[in-house]
Amino acid sequence: MLRGLYTAAAGMIAQQRRHDTVTNNISNLNTPGYKQVNAVGRSFPEMLLHLTGIEGDKPRKIGAVNTGVFAEESLSVHIQGDVYTTGSNADFAIRSDLQVPGIRFDSSGKAVDDNGNVIFQPQAFFTLQDRDGNIRYTRNGSFRIDNAGYLVANDGSFVLGTDNNPIQFAPGTSLDRLTLTGDLRFVNDLGADTGAQLLVSVVENPNRLVSAGHGQFRLNEEDAGLARPMAADDRVEVRQGYLERSNVDAAQAMVDLISALRAYESNQRIIQFYDQSLNKAVNEVGKV
Amino acid sequence: MNSSIINAATSMHAMQRKLDLIADNIANLNTAGYKRKTASFEELLTTLKRQDERFAQDGRKTPLGFTIGWGVRMTQVQHDMTQGNIQSTDNPFDLAIMGNALFEVVTNADGARAYTRNGAFQATINAAGDIVVTTVEGYPVVVRDADGAEGPLLLPAGYNLLVDEAGRVSAMSPDGSDIVPLGRLKLVEPTRPDALQLVSDNLYVVREDVDAAEVLRDIAPGTDSDVRLAQGALEQSNAALETEMTELIMVQRAYQLSARALASADTMMSLANQLRV
Repeated sequence: MLRGLYTAAAGMIAQQRRHDTVTNNISNLNTPGYKQVNAVGRSFPEMLLHLTGIEGDKPRKIGAVNTGVFAEESLSVHIQGDVYTTGSNADFAIRSDLQVPGIRFDSSGKAVDDNGNVIFQPQAFFTLQDRDGNIRYTRNGSFRIDNAGYLVANDGSFVLGTDNNPIQFAPGTSLDRLTLTGDLRFVNDLGADTGAQLLVSVVENPNRLVSAGHGQFRLNEEDAGLARPMAADDRVEVRQGYLERSNVDAAQAMVDLISALRAYESNQRIIQFYDQSLNKAVNEVGKV
Repeated sequence: MNSSIINAATSMHAMQRKLDLIADNIANLNTAGYKRKTASFEELLTTLKRQDERFAQDGRKTPLGFTIGWGVRMTQVQHDMTQGNIQSTDNPFDLAIMGNALFEVVTNADGARAYTRNGAFQATINAAGDIVVTTVEGYPVVVRDADGAEGPLLLPAGYNLLVDEAGRVSAMSPDGSDIVPLGRLKLVEPTRPDALQLVSDNLYVVREDVDAAEVLRDIAPGTDSDVRLAQGALEQSNAALETEMTELIMVQRAYQLSARALASADTMMSLANQLRV
């Protein structure tokens, strides 16, 4: 049978996934706190081909072959986005450059240690609690105060304080009158502490975060230990009146879009060629 | 199937709404008391395509599952309540607020209230023949008398309107010999701008699901607040052309890119259709 027919079909599906991922990046070009996602492909498991059916002979090895490719993982790129001013006291942006002793991270946020292990730079996130009580992490610091005085994100999730409870202000409190101090406490316009302190969580390996929609991430149960509250000496800064821009590179997105399309097209052509071969085999071989 | 098409279409819709918002801000560059509208974007829910244990291969960095996003939506429109420039007009009925506060006006006979920053008022003669200070649309401005009772601002015939920086209103006879105190303009500070809804004529109302008393704080300029009033001046729109144009370019280019992604996804579908020629 023509093995490559299915290989090319798998290629088309994988490129389709890549295209979908790039489209979503383009859609989120102006979404605060959005992190670019890359679709990473992997080849199908390697198979060893043997020549069989030779009388009295041992099967002869032909070689290894991968019969396809699939989109394996969607990898978010957790590097810092640009921070821009919005003038609104309800907007917060995280700037983080977390360090691990003895490791120097490159601009893409990774480092290779002496043993060849790749280490990813920890990242800081606002900590949210959705209405079902699940913990979520986000870099989108566009918050507001709801009817009950809770500090909430766009989708209504609570913003957590350092006491691991939702931050709640007295009714009638305006964010315009609250200032976030350097140690992330909210003080009012008279300089009095409101008792609320913003919880910023540090996730050791941000690749373990799973996208939960609404620009939020979650950690699977087995990875829950990767998150910890920010320590005082962490290089993290939260700015009020600013938002973090999406870190999607528009030019790169356009290039990826074109390359996914053309790779899809190449795979489609291969299928057509196989179709022609099959046509010949079916209709022309043995034709009288 | 082709989630690129759905994704691009949703996002173009969201960006179109943002473009409409920017167009609104630009159209109101010269509207007295206009507050620019802002909205940002938010990612929609994502789909997690399940992968079984066999997908956990060496070199994999993320937990099992492949995430597919479905585009963006525009978040709730908010009003940027920052101060606009104050322009002198020398019209005694023009009042400008410096600081975060709103005038209160009555919009119907039942006493429904609306709030505005537009201090371009005028003297209107009502059905009873009284001279009432109203907005251009004819909605009476609310003042409080010495006892705190709310009512319209009635100006004695032939008298001039005087408003001091703390919002105390009085009427002065043409020769300046007689000054009648008329109370104090009611000013409120919106504690939660997102609870306000812009209706029309530059008027805000409090959204139905929230209690007006909770989101609007009564203020008395000069005593408990740094808000000041200026008579004979108007507050200009706080929308700035340069900010709006920059946003316009960014959103328009993002729209364009999404349209390209849509066209590209369309080509892919066409290729799939041509598999068998």
